[in-house]
Amino acid sequence: MLAELAFFATVAAYAAASGLFFTYLARPDGSPRAAKAAPRVLAYATILHAGYVYLASILANVCPVKSIHFVASIAALLASALYLVLRRRFSIDAVGAFVAPVALTFVLGARFVGRPDQPVGGGFLALHVTVNVLGDALFLLASGAAVLYLVEERRLKQKRAASVFGRLPPLDALDRVEHRLLLMGFPLLTLGIVTGAAWAHRIENGSAAEGARALFAFGTWIVFASVLVMRAALGWRGRRAAYGTIAGFIFAVAVLVVYLVRGASGGST
Amino acid sequence: MIVVVGLSHREAPLHVRERLAVDGEAVEALLRELVASSEVSEALCISTCNRIEVYAASNSKTQADTAKAARRVEKALDDLARKNGASGVVPYLKTYVEGEAVRHIFRVASSLDSLVVGEPQILGQVKSAYETAKTVGSVGQFLERAMSRALHVAKRVRTETAIGEGQVSIASVAVDLARQIFGDLAGRSALLLGAGEMAEGAAKLLVKAGAKLEVVNRSPERAAILAREYDGVARAWEELESALVSADVVVASTAAKHFVLTRAMTAKAMKARRGRSLFFIDIAVPRDVEPQVNELDNVYVYDIDNLSNVVADSMRGRKAEADRAESLVEHEANNFEGWAESRGAAGTIAALRTKVRSSLVGELEKSLAGRLRHLGDADKKAMNAMIEAAVNKLLHVPISRIKASAGEPNGERLVEAIRQLFDLSEFPSEVEAAGDASSEPAEASSVPTLAQRETARR
Repeated sequence: MLAELAFFATVAAYAAASGLFFTYLARPDGSPRAAKAAPRVLAYATILHAGYVYLASILANVCPVKSIHFVASIAALLASALYLVLRRRFSIDAVGAFVAPVALTFVLGARFVGRPDQPVGGGFLALHVTVNVLGDALFLLASGAAVLYLVEERRLKQKRAASVFGRLPPLDALDRVEHRLLLMGFPLLTLGIVTGAAWAHRIENGSAAEGARALFAFGTWIVFASVLVMRAALGWRGRRAAYGTIAGFIFAVAVLVVYLVRGASGGST
Repeated sequence: MIVVVGLSHREAPLHVRERLAVDGEAVEALLRELVASSEVSEALCISTCNRIEVYAASNSKTQADTAKAARRVEKALDDLARKNGASGVVPYLKTYVEGEAVRHIFRVASSLDSLVVGEPQILGQVKSAYETAKTVGSVGQFLERAMSRALHVAKRVRTETAIGEGQVSIASVAVDLARQIFGDLAGRSALLLGAGEMAEGAAKLLVKAGAKLEVVNRSPERAAILAREYDGVARAWEELESALVSADVVVASTAAKHFVLTRAMTAKAMKARRGRSLFFIDIAVPRDVEPQVNELDNVYVYDIDNLSNVVADSMRGRKAEADRAESLVEHEANNFEGWAESRGAAGTIAALRTKVRSSLVGELEKSLAGRLRHLGDADKKAMNAMIEAAVNKLLHVPISRIKASAGEPNGERLVEAIRQLFDLSEFPSEVEAAGDASSEPAEASSVPTLAQRETARR
């Protein structure tokens, strides 16, 4: 009952935070009140979310990273916690406009996937899930920065600069934070793929979903690797890096979706 | 009659305006050429980065002659563009005549026609254009009056409305844009290419924000002076390409007639920069940076129009003040028209009648209050009729002659002579006296007849 209450409060808080972030970005005057309230509401949402995950996992007597039900939810929780920690340091307040609605989608999506008390695998799998979830959280934030970068870059190129003044973070800051988040997420992704491959090798069930997931996972790795290599070698920053980051994130989400859908359909691990 | 011919940011995009970019000497030559022609008697030229306009007055009041004067100015401007190696400006030229022309001059001086309404620079530019015309000797009574009234209106607009408050300068917007791209500007490198007044302003703000300054100028001496002034480094013109690799913000304002920074040159620099963002602030007219440079990845080019638009966009809520200023301008323009009318034949005739009648009525009143105190109403009425008849008889010939010569070159001289002989300049017309009570002697111009006074007394 308490867990249910926490769930709905989390959803409401994420929705409110999303609304406030959009108001802040969409209103012509920048709505200073919304700008101030949005990160605060997102912080409440994150606390409620953590409370919900804690209560629900206690209730189901399962470690959250060992349950399909919690995976997407935890990725969102980590992303929004990371945002709250990094937003001042990198002055990326506006990225919240991406984090809040995506977190809302993940929390709602996870609700319909699997049951909380449906644990999977052993300790090795827990490591695999943990690094992947952390990596996804970082990629989520990075692609948030990438989306904002593209919006702002377009406005500046089209000389509609007045609409972004003081509202969106500086372009270079977005590019830099996106790059750093990728640098942090990439080793986690690599580790996730290595552990995933080892685990898949062990069970060798060779299902179509298994194949698709591996394919998307390698796709994610290749896209992010190319973004990082091209940036280092050829100076591909800004727009190209942003498109690459978003493409990589779409692959990462595809992995998650395959994982969740398969989990929901009750397939064994 | 006053005509205005020219183009501004309203009619002509930057690539057209830059075809008509002129320096001080060219303006003086243009004014001399115009007043030497038979169609134009007075001329003044305003040349800013947002407009080039010629304010001219013709000797005659007829519409045909005004049209001729306008065409003469059009031709002069077209010749100017051709001298700059361009053509095709004529379709962009806009012409205002008479009342419209005066209204336009007043609106320009009051900064109501500026891209950024309320910006303060235009008044200085109008003043200096007026000074130049005075030095050349190309202004006469009409433009002199129009310009002094325009400056007066601009002052009123500035002091009586809040139109100029909270002004954002182009330079500060340029620095805000740089911040939007780079974030903190401390340690960034700014390149000053050429040295216009506004460019120096932007460079000063960039240095204040912590940027290091490099100066590249065709004249090494000028570069050295600027570098010293802003604690920067002067580099030779030949080093421009390498300076482009190290700079983050480039403020361009050279007097070059062609693009100084091309797409190919910038693309090469971007390769060497490994994609680091580069921001061009191009305040030059004609422009220094090829527009296609903006298409390159991570390169942002803002020219004077782009910057002005950002300024205009970032200042909202000025409509009410602008409306107040517009009505002020309208009021003053009506006053001017009244004055101009009074300088014409009809106005002079009315002023002459009023002056003569008021002198006679004044004398009669004195007598009626003294020696002729015993006269009855019927006698007074007869005296009044006598005065009216005397005025008509006395003025019949002069008035007929003024009317007959109206529209002819001689007519203007005749009107002027009458005004001088009867001292009509101190006799403002009805419109002027009533409309501008604050700055002009509020003398009642239409003197009531004796009969009217009698009625009022009763």
